[in-house]
Amino acid sequence: MAAAASSAPSSGSAGDGTRATSKWLDAHYDPVANLHTFSSCVTLADLHGDGDYKLVVGNFGSTGHEMKLKVYQGTSLLSENTLPDLPTSVVSFLMEQHEPRMPALAVASGPYIYVYKNLRPYFKFTLPPMEPNPMEKVVWEQAKEDKVDLLSMKEMLEAIRENAEMPLSVQSLRFLTLDPPEMDSFVNQHKSQPIKRQTVMTCMATLKKNRVDEDAISCLVIGTENMEILILDPEAFTILSKVTIPSVPTFLDVAGQFDVEYRLTVACRNGSIYILRRDSKRPKYCIELSAQAVGLVRIQKNIIVACSDETLRGYTQKGKKLWGVTLPATPITLGIMDEKFQSFQAVLVALANLEVHIYRDKNLVNVIQVPDIVTSISFGHYGREDNTLIMTTKGGGLIIKILKRTSTFHKGDTAVGVPVAQSIKLSVPKKTKLYVDQTLRERESGVAMHQVFQTDLSRIRLMAARAYVRALECSMTPVSESLQEPLKLNAVVQGMGPTFKLCLNLQNMSENRAVANLLICFVYDENRYSIERPFFKAPMLIPGLNYPLATFVECLGDQGISDIIKVFVLSEGNSRPLLTAHISMPVSEGLAAA
Amino acid sequence: MGLFDKLASWLGLKKKEVHVLCLGLDNSGKTTIINKLKPSNAQAQDIVPTIGFSIEKFKTSSLSFTVFDMSGQGRYRNLWEHYYKDCQAIIFVIDSSDILRMVVAKEELDTLLTHPDLKHRRIPILFFANKMDLRDAVSSVKVSHLLTLENIKDKPWHICASDALKGEGLQEGVDWLQDQIQIMKT
Ligand SMILES: Nc1nc2c(ncn2[C@@H]2O[C@H](COP(=O)(O)OP(=O)(O)OP(=O)(O)O)[C@@H](O)[C@H]2O)c(=O)[nH]1
Ligand SMILES: [Mg+2]
Repeated sequence: MAAAASSAPSSGSAGDGTRATSKWLDAHYDPVANLHTFSSCVTLADLHGDGDYKLVVGNFGSTGHEMKLKVYQGTSLLSENTLPDLPTSVVSFLMEQHEPRMPALAVASGPYIYVYKNLRPYFKFTLPPMEPNPMEKVVWEQAKEDKVDLLSMKEMLEAIRENAEMPLSVQSLRFLTLDPPEMDSFVNQHKSQPIKRQTVMTCMATLKKNRVDEDAISCLVIGTENMEILILDPEAFTILSKVTIPSVPTFLDVAGQFDVEYRLTVACRNGSIYILRRDSKRPKYCIELSAQAVGLVRIQKNIIVACSDETLRGYTQKGKKLWGVTLPATPITLGIMDEKFQSFQAVLVALANLEVHIYRDKNLVNVIQVPDIVTSISFGHYGREDNTLIMTTKGGGLIIKILKRTSTFHKGDTAVGVPVAQSIKLSVPKKTKLYVDQTLRERESGVAMHQVFQTDLSRIRLMAARAYVRALECSMTPVSESLQEPLKLNAVVQGMGPTFKLCLNLQNMSENRAVANLLICFVYDENRYSIERPFFKAPMLIPGLNYPLATFVECLGDQGISDIIKVFVLSEGNSRPLLTAHISMPVSEGLAAA
Repeated sequence: MGLFDKLASWLGLKKKEVHVLCLGLDNSGKTTIINKLKPSNAQAQDIVPTIGFSIEKFKTSSLSFTVFDMSGQGRYRNLWEHYYKDCQAIIFVIDSSDILRMVVAKEELDTLLTHPDLKHRRIPILFFANKMDLRDAVSSVKVSHLLTLENIKDKPWHICASDALKGEGLQEGVDWLQDQIQIMKT
């Protein structure tokens, strides 16, 4: 497994335990790659058009100050470009049709898009400036003519900031942060410049221009802090379309082609998702999430969103909720897994509990353990491998896993709503006439039936009690009830005949009183059996011990008939037996055989 | 083998035929290697990724090789196992500069070695740690370590560093293979 772990020996143990069952090969793990980024700033692209896909990362650096555009080839860093500001999104897109098809990179950062071709800076697009607040303009004009003192200027700008709908320019905002001594020089320096107001980008995606192919040219779609969605032409960088939405966009998903029909799905900071179509000036559908979206992906026509309330939910493209599942921990980021060979599509959810869960619709199909919290996740072509999973972690690590060729995922229960079991028909037999009659009878004469049952029950109890009393009276039970001599007797017949051995086991059940002067007497048909000792004295019985008393019984006559031998346990001087046992003798086989 | 054939091969008139499977990930250089082993007038000029497989022939001093040059692309790798039964040797090619996919090469090799058609057969395996000319390439020792070749105990194997573009290292490998096959035959 630890093939490429040469650079990171620690990855050796991570996957070993699960190796037999894992669907993934651990291709590379560098815990100190110093990659600090989010999913929106990571992309995989065939930058040189040679089939060797590169990993492009808009890196914030560990302190958030060393912003770099890093490009990886295989397990090593290929190039680095310094970025002037924090990136918000990195995408690759084809700008023009020429061969070889080498995609350009677009890095959205502040109000700019930096476009790189062949890993060299190529073009910078700036968002168009916005109309400044007229009142703010008046204040700065007065400052220019020195008609206003610094403190009242500050008061006026603060009042505008509080009340006006339109936000202040960066220049005014910076002025408001200054201490009085610094104000003068700042105003002198800036008062002659016209005030500008500019928004920044919050998210970016690509939209195919007019063809669906993988190598079709694409427009850039950007969301701005100004609550707008803009679509840019890939060659001229002119704004092709502009829509205003009710809140600040944070995640963007685009489907379709610009010239034909397209659909934008935008998750916003107000906890809603808006769905827009080509030519719609306002959102067509709205999904209210009641929690913040953590990530948004589209699988075929369904929108899948992870929310900060630890849920993952699926919606139709019209905003109807299909399903929702509770996640075991807070989701950090979302990615789409699109396995082309088996056409398996699923969503990858990186969780705060050091796991990445893979859901196909609402079904969890695989769990990957990771050594650190994953902050960015992407799946796709990397190097020459089709199904590569690339993750960067909170601590700056880089994890690369490759899906095994033989891995399959159970497709799960794809039906929406009712589970399959619910629709299986049970073969319940039809109600018979007998059953119906019986039910009717029970309903009509329930009381009578109950009474009859109760009388019968009482009778049975009475009969049982009588039989018990009779048994006690004739000492027929094998356990004596008399208080002085609580005895237990059981008899076993051994042998096949004509001679049998009759073993009596006599036990004194009392706690501490020994019993003496007991007599044992057998009563039997003298024509059938002869007993060696039909009458004998039992030894004194010590409490608790078992006394085996044996005697021989001879079966007379040659008819294979068996009879009963009665055993009486008597106490001396008392004609009523303490115990009686009836022994059914077996047929003498010795004779029967003869 | 008939008496005449035996006699012919004794006299070196007819060479023994061997079937060899050439395996390895896509882009590792399998086709380039086989191409280089063919006589120079039969060599192809440009090499494109193989689709499915192709059958090539070349001769050494005493053997006549028929090579099944399999495609290494993921979607064709399930074809490999259908040819295990009839092969007498395996050439496994590794791109020594593709560190990322060394795990994939290892996975495919392990699957191959445990396949029922090969598991109990003592067939020779020749590894080419190819593309040794590239800057990122690791040594053949490192390749054999990454693929844990030392664990192959029941089959003769050998690894050569190679540069298929220049043809370096190929002869050494083929000589070893020829020796092995002759040992097996006698
Ligand atoms: N630098 C270098 N390049 C090589 C070497 N061997 C092959 N290549 C190149 O690697 C690429 C792929 O070679 P192929 O022979 O087509 O690879 P393959 O293993 O047959 O690939 P598939 O048929 O797709 O399985 C070609 O561009 C070759 O020129 C080598 O030793 N050094
Ligand atoms: Mg080939």
